[in-house]
Amino acid sequence: MTSTSFTPKPPRADAGNGWPHALASAVRIVLILIALLIAVQSLIVVQFRPQDLITGFHGMVDIFQRSMPPDFSNFDTVLWPTLETIDIAIFGTMAGLLLSLPLAVLAAANVTPSRVLYYLARGIIGFTRAVPDLVWALLFVTAVGLGPFPGGLALAVHSIGMMGRLFAETIEHMDMAPIDALSLTGARRLQVFTHGVLPSVLPSLTGISLYRLDENIRSSLVLGFVGAGGIGFQLLTAMNLFQYQQVSVLLIVTFVIVLTAERLSAIARERLA
Amino acid sequence: MLDVSRLSLQYPNGKVALADFDIAVRAGELVIVLGGNGSGKTTLMRCITRTLQPTEGSVRVNGTDLAPLTGEKLRRARLELALISQHGSLVRRRSVLANVATGSLGRHGGWFTALGGLPAEELRLAHGYLAEVGLAHLADQRAGTLSGGQAQRVAIARALAQRPRVLLADEPVASLDPEAAEDIMKLLRRLAAEENLAVLCVLHQIELAHTYADRVVGIRDGRMAFDLPRAEVSREKMRHLYLSEAA
Repeated sequence: MTSTSFTPKPPRADAGNGWPHALASAVRIVLILIALLIAVQSLIVVQFRPQDLITGFHGMVDIFQRSMPPDFSNFDTVLWPTLETIDIAIFGTMAGLLLSLPLAVLAAANVTPSRVLYYLARGIIGFTRAVPDLVWALLFVTAVGLGPFPGGLALAVHSIGMMGRLFAETIEHMDMAPIDALSLTGARRLQVFTHGVLPSVLPSLTGISLYRLDENIRSSLVLGFVGAGGIGFQLLTAMNLFQYQQVSVLLIVTFVIVLTAERLSAIARERLA
Repeated sequence: MLDVSRLSLQYPNGKVALADFDIAVRAGELVIVLGGNGSGKTTLMRCITRTLQPTEGSVRVNGTDLAPLTGEKLRRARLELALISQHGSLVRRRSVLANVATGSLGRHGGWFTALGGLPAEELRLAHGYLAEVGLAHLADQRAGTLSGGQAQRVAIARALAQRPRVLLADEPVASLDPEAAEDIMKLLRRLAAEENLAVLCVLHQIELAHTYADRVVGIRDGRMAFDLPRAEVSREKMRHLYLSEAA
């Protein structure tokens, strides 16, 4: 049997004094109470009424019954809005990519040419991200009228914020040694960017853009509700006209688009990794 | 070719990183700088390349003083000066050939290279530089797949593509095994002689310095400890640079 040497830990500084421990326990209890209060106030503010779920269940069953079977007789009328929905997302992602890339370079602390431009670019990225795409769509519908174009513009502007921030972070976290080495060869700033920065971060930028395209396809489905074209607009019209069998067709199409986009985006990003 | 005179750097907090440092490297000469950690070797290199602004002194490359230059004038002056760093610092996702050819970018203005293009003539020359460092067969391989020694050779080929007069090497063999380190030092020795380059190399390896240097410069606390031809500097003297640091 071997003996094990045991060195007792030195007593804690607060040993013999129960106050710090009691204070920590009190703080924990207060924090738990605050968390509970926040949860309860949210239930009050949203007017949480579980009984309405029970009474509303019959209404939901009724809508479901009226939407079955899906009416595919006018399926050809869904094809164009489907293409519109996908193209709104493609346009929004492409335009967002083109606009966010130069902003991201200005907003990356390690490559920005000036502090003024850095804060300006950060400000633009922050503002475009803070305003939701649905609000941008409302603004653009007001400005350029109904249709897919305001939808594309809304996604483009919102994508500037979403992609710009991620692009800037990617650039900030890249290995700077090759960039510094290229600068020291006497290469110009733009040459250093295209030959050093861009090849280094391209896989990450492509991955971010594909993920954004996936997100934008989901968003473009909703933008139609405010008149920005695509399936959303068809869905709203069908619901307003109580054409639930048409609604179910549109929901099936939506489901297929979202799942396909998500899968394709994931496969492409896996290959880039 | 490279003439550093009274080069000094004092930080705003008063710490002297480099004091009145003089060093001259002629064309075809390989000068090795030895010194312990924190002795000022890298500071010296950074002052020469002007990534740090010296507080005093001059750095003349082929007669042009880099110390007071800024902006476009500094960029042009840097074309004469190539730096090889510790890890090669290649763009990992580009081909070996493209990495080498990017060494020449500073000589090409215009939109073609600004938008990511590399002139055909430079790509042809890059093949030659790769052959010179013995890696022509890896031209199309991605730089990220190279071993440490290969990456360092490609970095040297990139430096050659810059067509400099002065080649600076900041601990180029620090992360290499002894065999690869010998290869790199032989290559630097050969390039100094055949390409008539002035080579200034910072090292920690006393044996390599003793084998390959034309002159050995010792640095301690930012000041020159000695500057002697290889034949006149004993291993003991070199070792003393490190021993005194530990003492």
